[in-house]
Amino acid sequence: MSATCTVNGREHRLEPGETVARLLERLELGGRFALVERNGEAVERSAYGDVEIAAGDLLVVARPVAGG
Amino acid sequence: MTDTLTIAGREFGSRLITGTGKYDTFETMRDAVAASGCEMVTVAVRRIDLDARGGGEDITDFLPEELLLLPNTAGCETADEAVRVARLARAGGLPDWVKLEVIPDSRYLLPDPVETLRAAEQLVDDGFTVLPYMLPDPVLARRLEEVGCATVMPLAAPIGTGRGLKLRDAIGIVIEQANVPVVVDAGLGSPSHAADALELGADAVLVNTAIAHADDPVAMARAFRLAVEAGRTAFLAGVMAEGETASPSSPVGGLVTQP
Repeated sequence: MSATCTVNGREHRLEPGETVARLLERLELGGRFALVERNGEAVERSAYGDVEIAAGDLLVVARPVAGG
Repeated sequence: MTDTLTIAGREFGSRLITGTGKYDTFETMRDAVAASGCEMVTVAVRRIDLDARGGGEDITDFLPEELLLLPNTAGCETADEAVRVARLARAGGLPDWVKLEVIPDSRYLLPDPVETLRAAEQLVDDGFTVLPYMLPDPVLARRLEEVGCATVMPLAAPIGTGRGLKLRDAIGIVIEQANVPVVVDAGLGSPSHAADALELGADAVLVNTAIAHADDPVAMARAFRLAVEAGRTAFLAGVMAEGETASPSSPVGGLVTQP
């Protein structure tokens, strides 16, 4: 049984050692303007390549959208 | 002498800030933003739709890099939610400027003054440049200024209503007492409303629906640009005092028809 986390309310099967940057790549969001929160804490963009996701983590992936 | 708007040490040539919401397409939004001459636009922050390939279209692809993006906290009902969104935006690479909106009321979209002040205090402590959306309450404006907000942004009328400066007198008091720029935000429906706000002494206006929902948003963006320039120029020129009775503009003597 492989480890999973939750991304925007959806279950995501983790690769061993999966980082935030790798997660974005797997979600086909590599290179896009993605904002990431892990367990309620904002993740610094400069740390996307270093922060490893643990089993059971709750992630939110957001971005700027049209708004007033 | 050039007349620039300075917010938190940053200079802006334009006193018009626009929102990016409610446009039919990003192309129209991009063209309207360009026609408005604005140098700062608001964006919202939302979860990416993981069902859309690559998350779908990216608004930042349609906004020139020299524009300052002002993330808002729209959708937040408490101070904690607003702080969370602002931190997410900044950590992910958006500016450390935030249009603070804490709105628990969906019918009139009026901001919660207590939670707004609480969030403003936290965000300023956290190093953000905070532009709070507020009812034009002069006491609240002073409190927001005291905790370190970069502007105050009183509403003219409820968001998206286009009703104009319904709270004109209260906004006038905020302007009279403020030591930070006053940005009239929300409720402006036409360029004449924007000109009126600037004539009253507002430092800037923030407009979204009135441009995005015009039949021709690009032309309307230009109209707002001209109105803001006209209103500001009129304010600096000094608007005449109102009179109770008429005062003729032509000579009263030397009438051709006199006996």
